[in-house]
Amino acid sequence: MEEIDSPRGRVRVRDLQNNRVVWESYDQLLLATGAVPVCPDLPGADAVEICGVNTLQSGIELRRILDDRNPKNGIVVGGGYIGLEMAEALVRRGMAVSLVSRSPEVMKTLDPDMGHLVSQALRDFGVTLYLEETLIGFETKSGKITGVVTDRRSLPADIVILGLGVRPNTELAAAAGIPLGERRSIRVNELMQTFVAGIWAAGDCAETFHLVSRKPYYLALGTIANRQGRVAGVNLGGGSATFPGVVGTAVTKICEVEVARTGLQESELRELGIEWASAVIRSRTKAGYLPGAGKITVKVLAEKGSGRLLGGQIVGMEGSAKRIDTLATALHAGFTVEEMINLDVGYAPPFSPVWDPVVIAAREAAKLV
Amino acid sequence: MSTERLIVVGGDAAGMSAAAQAKRRNPGLEVVVFERGPHTSYSA
Ligand SMILES: Cc1cc2nc3c(=O)[nH]c(=O)nc-3n(C[C@H](O)[C@H](O)[C@H](O)COP(=O)(O)OP(=O)(O)OC[C@H]3O[C@@H](n4cnc5c(N)ncnc54)[C@H](O)[C@@H]3O)c2cc1C
Ligand SMILES: Cc1cc2nc3c(=O)[nH]c(=O)nc-3n(C[C@H](O)[C@H](O)[C@H](O)COP(=O)(O)OP(=O)(O)OC[C@H]3O[C@@H](n4cnc5c(N)ncnc54)[C@H](O)[C@@H]3O)c2cc1C
Repeated sequence: MEEIDSPRGRVRVRDLQNNRVVWESYDQLLLATGAVPVCPDLPGADAVEICGVNTLQSGIELRRILDDRNPKNGIVVGGGYIGLEMAEALVRRGMAVSLVSRSPEVMKTLDPDMGHLVSQALRDFGVTLYLEETLIGFETKSGKITGVVTDRRSLPADIVILGLGVRPNTELAAAAGIPLGERRSIRVNELMQTFVAGIWAAGDCAETFHLVSRKPYYLALGTIANRQGRVAGVNLGGGSATFPGVVGTAVTKICEVEVARTGLQESELRELGIEWASAVIRSRTKAGYLPGAGKITVKVLAEKGSGRLLGGQIVGMEGSAKRIDTLATALHAGFTVEEMINLDVGYAPPFSPVWDPVVIAAREAAKLV
Repeated sequence: MSTERLIVVGGDAAGMSAAAQAKRRNPGLEVVVFERGPHTSYSA
C-alpha cells in the first residue's frame, strides 16, 4: 500500500510481483503497518553486513550471511532485548561478540541497579560490553564492513547487528492527515479507531495508554499488537470491545538469565514527579533446599504515602520472569503493596519458597512507603 | 446492497488478529489484507 485517499475511501496498492498499481476502495480501513528499526544516518551504514532484525525475512537474510561467510567478529549496537538476544545467538555460534550501548547498563527498561545484573550475566557469558559509548560510524573496505567506530575506540567487525529500537511505521498515515501522538504513533481511541472516520489502527503503528501514569504511551510489543488487533477486529466485525491500555510488561531471556519488568521505572517516576520507595530482595525460585533452586532478585516500586504499587522488575534464573505477571495484575487492579502481602498465590517446594519472592519484595516495600 | 469491505494493511500480529476476528464475527464482511513482505503472521 502506497497511499491513503481517505476522502474517497480508497488506497493505492502496487502488486510487487508485476509492478501494477491499482486503487482499492474500502468501507473500513485498518492500519497495521507495525514499526521499523531505527537506522543511524552514518556513512557506511548501507553495507550488507550491517543488519537490523525486525521481520522474519530480515532474520532469514541475517542467517544466510552468517552461514555463508562464517564471520568471526560480531558487534551488536544497542542494549535492548533484541540486541541482547542477538548477542547471545552470535556467542552460541562461536563468534567473538562485543556490544556497544549508550546507556550505563544494558536493558534500560530496567533501573540501573537491576540492569547491572543483566550486564554482568552477559559478561559472564563472554560478551564484551562497551557501555556509555556512542556509535559514530562504520569502517568499510571496498563496500565490506571492517569495523565499528564509537566515540572512544574502533572495533574490528565482520558483521554488525543494530538493535537501536524501533519507531512506528506511520509515514503514509501522516501523509493522509491521520493525527499522530506519542513518538509519531497513530492516535486511537479505546475501540482502536483513529481520528479519521472509517480508519482504524492497531499494533506497533498505534498509540496506547499507560494505566499507571494515566498518559498516552508508545510501546512496540507483540503482546499489545495481538490484543489491539483483537479489539479492532471484534469492533470491525460488529461486536463491541475496548482496549483500556497497558502497564508496560515485558519479559526476555538472555543466556540462562530471565529478565522481566512492568509498570513505571525510576527514570519515568522522576519525570512524572511521583515520589516512590523501592525494595530489592534476593530469594530463590524454589524452596532453598531443592536442587535447581535458582537465584532471583525482585525490585518493587511503590508510591510514598499511598503505598500504591508503581512497578517491578525481576532478574533471575529459570522460573523468574513470569512472576512479573503477579505484579502486572496487581498494577491493573490498582493494589497497594500492603494489599499484595495477602495475595493468595500458590506455594509448593518445586515452585517457590513459602513466601513468593514477589510478595517478599512487596512486604519490604510496604515497610518503606 | 453490496457487501461491506474491510481493507487491512499489514499482515502480521495486529493485522491478522483483526482480520480473523472480524471475519469470524461477520462472515459476510469482505476482508482484504495487503502485506508487502513474503510472510504473514510471523511474529506473534
Ligand atoms: C506432607 C505435607 C505436605 C505439605 N505441602 C504443602 C505445600 O506444598 N504447600 C503448602 O502451602 N502447604 C503444605 N503443607 C501444609 C503446611 O505444611 C502446613 O499448612 C503448615 O506447616 C502449617 O504451619 P503451622 O505452623 O500452622 O502448623 P504446623 O506446621 O503443624 O506446626 C505446629 C507445631 O506445633 C507443635 N505443637 C502442637 N501442639 C503442641 C503443644 N501442645 N505443645 C508444643 N508444641 C505443640 C507441633 O509439634 C508442630 O511442630 C503440607 C503439609 C504436609 C503434612
Ligand atoms: C527480534 C524480535 C523479537 C521480538 N520478540 C518479542 C517478544 O518476545 N515478545 C513480544 O511481545 N514482542 C516481541 N517483538 C515485537 C513484536 O514482534 C512486534 O511488536 C509485533 O510484530 C508487532 O506486530 P504488528 O502486526 O503491529 O507489526 P509488524 O509485525 O511490524 O507487522 C507489520 C506488517 O505490515 C507490513 N507493512 C508495513 N507497511 C506496509 C505497507 N505500506 N503495505 C503493505 N504492508 C505493509 C510489514 O511488511 C509487516 O509485515 C519482537 C520483535 C523483534 C524484531
